[in-house]
Amino acid sequence: MELYLGLKILWWLLLGVLLLGLAVMVGMDMGVGALLRIIGKTDLERRSMLNAIGPHWDGNQVWFILGGGAIFAAFPLIYATAFSGLYVVMLLLLWSMIMRPLAFEYRSKIPTAQWRNIADWVFLISGALPMIIYGAAMGNMLQGVPFHFDWDLRSYYTGSFISLFNPFAILAGLLSLALAMYMGAAMMVIKTEGALAARARAAGSVAVGVAIVLFAVGGVWVSQMSGYVLTHSVDPALAQTPLTQTVAQVAGGLIANYQAQPILWGVPAVGFFGMIAGFLMLRVHRAGLAWWLGILAWAGVLGATAISLFPFLMPSSTNPSQSLTIWNSISSQTTLLWMTGFTAVFVPLILWYTSWAFYVMRGKVDARKIEQDPHAY
Amino acid sequence: MKVIGYFLLFFVLAMILIVLAIILGDAAPWYFAWIIGTGLLILTSAAAGFMFDTQEDKAKGAPQ
Amino acid sequence: MINNTVVELSRWQFASTALYHFLFVPLTLGLTVFLAALETVYVVTGKPIYREMTQFWGKLLLINFALGVATGLTMEFEFGTNWSFYSGFVGDIFGAPLAIEGLMAFFMESTMIGLMIFGWDRLSRGQHLIVTYMVALGSNLSALWILVANGFMQDPQGAIFNPVTMRMELQSFSALIFSHDAQAKFVHTSIAGYVTAAIFVAGVSAFYLLKKRHLEIAKRSFRMATIFGVLSTIGVITLGDALGFIGAHAQPAKIAAMEAMWETEPAPAPFNLAAWPNQAKQENTWALQIPYLLTPLLTHTLDTKIPGIAEIEADNALRIKNGIPAVEALKLLSANPTDPVAMAQFKAHEKDLGYGFLVARYAPDQDVSKATEADIAQAAKDTIPDVFAIYWVFRIMVAFAFLMLAFFVFGVIYSLRNEVEKHPVFLRFALWMIPVPFLACEMGWITAELGRQPWTVYNLLPTWMSASSHSVSYMVFSLVGFVSLYTVFIVIEMYLMVRAIKQGPDAPHGADAGGHGHDKTLGGSVLSGGYAPVHAKTYLNEQSSKEV
Repeated sequence: MELYLGLKILWWLLLGVLLLGLAVMVGMDMGVGALLRIIGKTDLERRSMLNAIGPHWDGNQVWFILGGGAIFAAFPLIYATAFSGLYVVMLLLLWSMIMRPLAFEYRSKIPTAQWRNIADWVFLISGALPMIIYGAAMGNMLQGVPFHFDWDLRSYYTGSFISLFNPFAILAGLLSLALAMYMGAAMMVIKTEGALAARARAAGSVAVGVAIVLFAVGGVWVSQMSGYVLTHSVDPALAQTPLTQTVAQVAGGLIANYQAQPILWGVPAVGFFGMIAGFLMLRVHRAGLAWWLGILAWAGVLGATAISLFPFLMPSSTNPSQSLTIWNSISSQTTLLWMTGFTAVFVPLILWYTSWAFYVMRGKVDARKIEQDPHAY
Repeated sequence: MKVIGYFLLFFVLAMILIVLAIILGDAAPWYFAWIIGTGLLILTSAAAGFMFDTQEDKAKGAPQ
Repeated sequence: MINNTVVELSRWQFASTALYHFLFVPLTLGLTVFLAALETVYVVTGKPIYREMTQFWGKLLLINFALGVATGLTMEFEFGTNWSFYSGFVGDIFGAPLAIEGLMAFFMESTMIGLMIFGWDRLSRGQHLIVTYMVALGSNLSALWILVANGFMQDPQGAIFNPVTMRMELQSFSALIFSHDAQAKFVHTSIAGYVTAAIFVAGVSAFYLLKKRHLEIAKRSFRMATIFGVLSTIGVITLGDALGFIGAHAQPAKIAAMEAMWETEPAPAPFNLAAWPNQAKQENTWALQIPYLLTPLLTHTLDTKIPGIAEIEADNALRIKNGIPAVEALKLLSANPTDPVAMAQFKAHEKDLGYGFLVARYAPDQDVSKATEADIAQAAKDTIPDVFAIYWVFRIMVAFAFLMLAFFVFGVIYSLRNEVEKHPVFLRFALWMIPVPFLACEMGWITAELGRQPWTVYNLLPTWMSASSHSVSYMVFSLVGFVSLYTVFIVIEMYLMVRAIKQGPDAPHGADAGGHGHDKTLGGSVLSGGYAPVHAKTYLNEQSSKEV
């Protein structure tokens, strides 16, 4: 295989790893935020929840920044077209994401009930909304997005903001939220005690149950939707623009890859396995294992989406021939090579010191300490 | 007056340092300079802390 | 078609969100390094007061850090949301440093800052010190990669336009990161952060010295901050000069604007100490000149020619004419990447492609082939940034730098003579100095980025082309959102910062310190109890023995 083609596929896989890291680590914190008002009944319980993720949320959030940066570096045309096309949605995502650090840092520094109540609502919104948007964005990619290019690759988005919240996208958004709440709940079972942990366990079981149903419904829905097929294109190994290909829309196109390679059915099956086994582990009080199974669940869901789309990343519903694929939206070989080098060195390093940080802060959150520690969230 | 004298002396010293650094800087290995400079800066500031404590201890010790 | 209003609104939005973000960045860059110095003293001497100092300044850092991170997210998004043509055009180069910033620096900084705050009881002294150093290194490495990216916009090195993919592509990674502009800009910015932190620490310490509170912490902090500050200020001025030296080669129009030099003067050219530039007439209404000074100041020689604005504009008009055929050829190549005639034409005019793009703004139907002589003249005029603004913003920044240097020199003298608290006027002045470095940093940003206009990537991509094709209503929506959110943020941030400063370093030991009754604000503090009662006691004993 040619080097450039190999790099293209490698970076498609790495994009998946990054989106997975984002979903798992950021999603977990978002889930905690979304659950804060639901399972945290007193101020101290809510502070326990926040402090459980307190030492790590900042590092976790970098997955989100890294996700953005990596798309920019490896798939500049996706970054440009998707971020500008989904403008209003992206801003809502951004604004809810930037309210979160402030809610974290400032919530417990002001002792009034009113202020903390506001902060808790901010946690709810800034936890739920980004995860819904994350899922809805994936849902929209599966359906195609209304955009086209000029001769100089200037992109124009022609849809409305509301059309991004179509029924399928909402379903995908809810699935993503449910998985995030499940991961957040599992972490709360690990990190807290007593009634709070029991409520977290119950909430996590419900969330993953909902996720199983939504993933199943979504799967059936996808099999009925029309997908995109490259009918004429430049050799994937060559540098190219989205202006030199033709694409057709065909019924059942989103499951064509599965039909061609039946072994791929294993990927969504892994997702179901992760969710079902995770549910069972929560029931038998093995929250740590349930959390790790959540990663499998996410990997199955994201992997299934990616396989449905392959080789597309962002199909155009209004001008399918200008759809963005892995081949035509990716960076140059030199950039990919350098990025691969940096990733190979730094991602293992990140995983190492992140686990070290979790190890240092291991154990249950001590509610008494929170009341005494002026640095506590 | 003494303070003004010290001020002028140190200010001139600072200016000389700037000029020297500019002359060296045309060769521009700035990243390297930053690493060395920041390290030295931390050490010098830390030394300023030690020095303060030494002065304090002396001042405390003297009247007794 | 590109809508001018949308471009203007996009520029305002980017500039205001970037300037806002840059209010918090320098303090983080400097304070993390300062904390490393403080904790070094703690670990070496084992004196608990230095741990208290580290924790107190760390608390203020965190209040600032939260907003820095939050507003940084905006920057990461905005290239895609509002500058999508730019992102597609140079993403192959520009995206890499941003992604590496996340991988190498921001991850480390963010993971370690959690441990720095929460890990005091769980890490050994040495481990905690390493964590603090990692935070300092991480925040500054963040700045490094961001400024490598910015360096590419200022002086694009290591990249070439690929007509097949219709974008700039990376040629040499080392040329990109070792670009002189990136190197000097990084060091300048990083050290400007050190200066900011030094002024901030010195100012807050002066506040305590004036109020006669927390004297032990204040005097030590003041000593360390002024030493830290005086050296950093020397560094920042040196690097400022280096940037001028580099800019004189890479960005002559920016330099000419910074110095308000309309005509090319015979070397050595005079220096406009103060002037009143009039861009319409292309002259200074009045100017206070020092003869012969500019050439040695800028080029470090006596005989290098520094081109004036009129000359730069005339040269650029020629480049625009030469660039138009490149754009026309590119249009043909877009439809048929293998067209040999178009490719030959493109190659012949490639080096002025960016200048060809410039004229589209003024040409009929925004089509460069229809550009008239008048359009070209207009576009050439456009290659000169706003002289008045740049000239004065730059000058005030420089004046601030020397003001801070003078301040620190006085501060060092007073501190070394151990008599700071005897100079209330100076201490009050120190309070007034707190906003100065923040303003200077903002002005540095304006000089660099306004001076880069009309380009987003110097000589390659006009700002006017770079923006996303949104509707005006979208832009109004986002501007209103940013303005309202950011206003709320700064109000909360300032409230918390001022509150934390007023509470002072004793706040953690509310119960303890309150018992000694030397800090009245603590009675109302919710944060009672202490995590290090032993240390608190020794420190308080030290202090009371001093007071006796």
